[in-house]
Amino acid sequence: MNIEIEIKNLYFYYAHSEKPTLKNNNLTIYRHKVTALIGPSGCGKTTLLRCLNRMHDLYPGNRYEGEILFKGQNILAKDVDLIQIRTKIGMVFQKPTPFPMSIFDNVAYGLRLRGIKNKKELEERVEKALKEAALWDEVKDKLKESGLSLSGGQQQRLCIARAIAVEPEVLLFDEPTSALDPISTGKIEDLIVQLKEKITIVIVTHNMQQAARVSDFTAFMYLGELVEFGPTEKIFTRPEKKLTEDYITGRFG
Amino acid sequence: MEKHILRRKFFNYLALLFTIISASWGLFWLFFILFDVLRHGLSALSLTLFLADPTPPGEEGGGLRHAFVGHLLINLIAILLGVPLGILGGTFLAEYGRNWKISGYISFLADTMMSVPAILVGAFVYAVLVKPLGHFSGWAGGVALAIIMFPVIVRTTEQMLKLVPWTIREAAFALGAPYHKVIWQVVYPSVKTGLFTGILLAIARVSGEAAPLLFTSFNNNFFSLDMKGPIASLTVTIFVYAMGPYEYWHAQAWGAALVITLGILLLNLTARLILKRRRPR
Repeated sequence: MNIEIEIKNLYFYYAHSEKPTLKNNNLTIYRHKVTALIGPSGCGKTTLLRCLNRMHDLYPGNRYEGEILFKGQNILAKDVDLIQIRTKIGMVFQKPTPFPMSIFDNVAYGLRLRGIKNKKELEERVEKALKEAALWDEVKDKLKESGLSLSGGQQQRLCIARAIAVEPEVLLFDEPTSALDPISTGKIEDLIVQLKEKITIVIVTHNMQQAARVSDFTAFMYLGELVEFGPTEKIFTRPEKKLTEDYITGRFG
Repeated sequence: MEKHILRRKFFNYLALLFTIISASWGLFWLFFILFDVLRHGLSALSLTLFLADPTPPGEEGGGLRHAFVGHLLINLIAILLGVPLGILGGTFLAEYGRNWKISGYISFLADTMMSVPAILVGAFVYAVLVKPLGHFSGWAGGVALAIIMFPVIVRTTEQMLKLVPWTIREAAFALGAPYHKVIWQVVYPSVKTGLFTGILLAIARVSGEAAPLLFTSFNNNFFSLDMKGPIASLTVTIFVYAMGPYEYWHAQAWGAALVITLGILLLNLTARLILKRRRPR
């Protein structure tokens, strides 16, 4: 198995906080696999996810310590170009975030940012992304309508299409289905399993069944520390640590 | 009924009564003024009022074409100066400068600036643009109105932009968008109706001002398109004509007052209509 991202001794401090929110995290994310981050609320799983595309840099005062190696390059280094990192490591958020523009323009947004202007190429890549996001059949006749006119589940698949249109190598999912109904959730889970053919996926989820269904590896976090990491099957059936077992059997959390 | 319930009912009705009286007090004067303007103004409205220039004082007839055109020109300058600067200022406060301590002070100053008497703004522009150059000018009038408009647009822009949820900006950043593109392509379009409404209301706010124009664009009895010299405006003309000795001047002032009132009413109504028709998100 190839390694995509290696997190080494990662500490993370939010602005104005002396105490680290993430403590000495070490984690390996394998290429073209789905890695789930689970743990009780406030354990730092979303914080960890947002380190991977340096989302925390949008807010002043946040700081990282340690290393996150992406293809051997430390993306926490000072001279890293954030725009380039975010081009390769995409993100899908908890709530759908369609932009106030047409469905087509939403998906084309990232492509245009990369300087693709050719109309034919844009059309081809938008269609491909929408097909991969299993949304094409529902929107192919109304690509000019506003992205805001879609239902919540469709909006989330639109955001996935937008993220995969630029062909990232890694896609981060931050509780992508917590605002959706079970049917939409099912569609997005199917999608995640299909996407891992080409993309490495890291997903934060509160739903342990979801982690069990879609992920190959699972990391259990508690109070900012990584408690246990391993193949999903092993974490859910034979966890090594008592804390992990207590959490997945629903004894706390 | 029990005594304390009766007492509550009594005070409830008392409070209701007072609020109705206060509301009626305001509405009474508003409608009184509107009705008066309508009554005197309607009879003065005619095509000549819009198309003819003034006759020599004392000679019946003529119109206010010079003031209508001058008014539009001065307001156009105010819009061209005040709107872009105001939007940029509000964008700084809500976006780039949102974590800077100074932004809070600037917002507070903008609020203060909104309640500065308009005549003070006129006197200020007189001191910096009229006195040093030696003559009144349409430009100075436009600048004075732009200064009054500026804080209004800054604050509405700031408030509108702050309504846009941060997650949508994060989504654009996550695609690798630079900040200026996030603002231009994602944030502004999210609140474009709100921004547009704010601009309309700010224009409505300044287009009825006379005080800041008295010391700046002054007045002109002749038709002029030269913004480097004094130029007539509707509001100053109303002021001069209303104080003047001739009956037909009074009538024309009423007509101008009606036009300007209807114009502002129209701006406000448009703003409300746009807000109402905004697609629910």
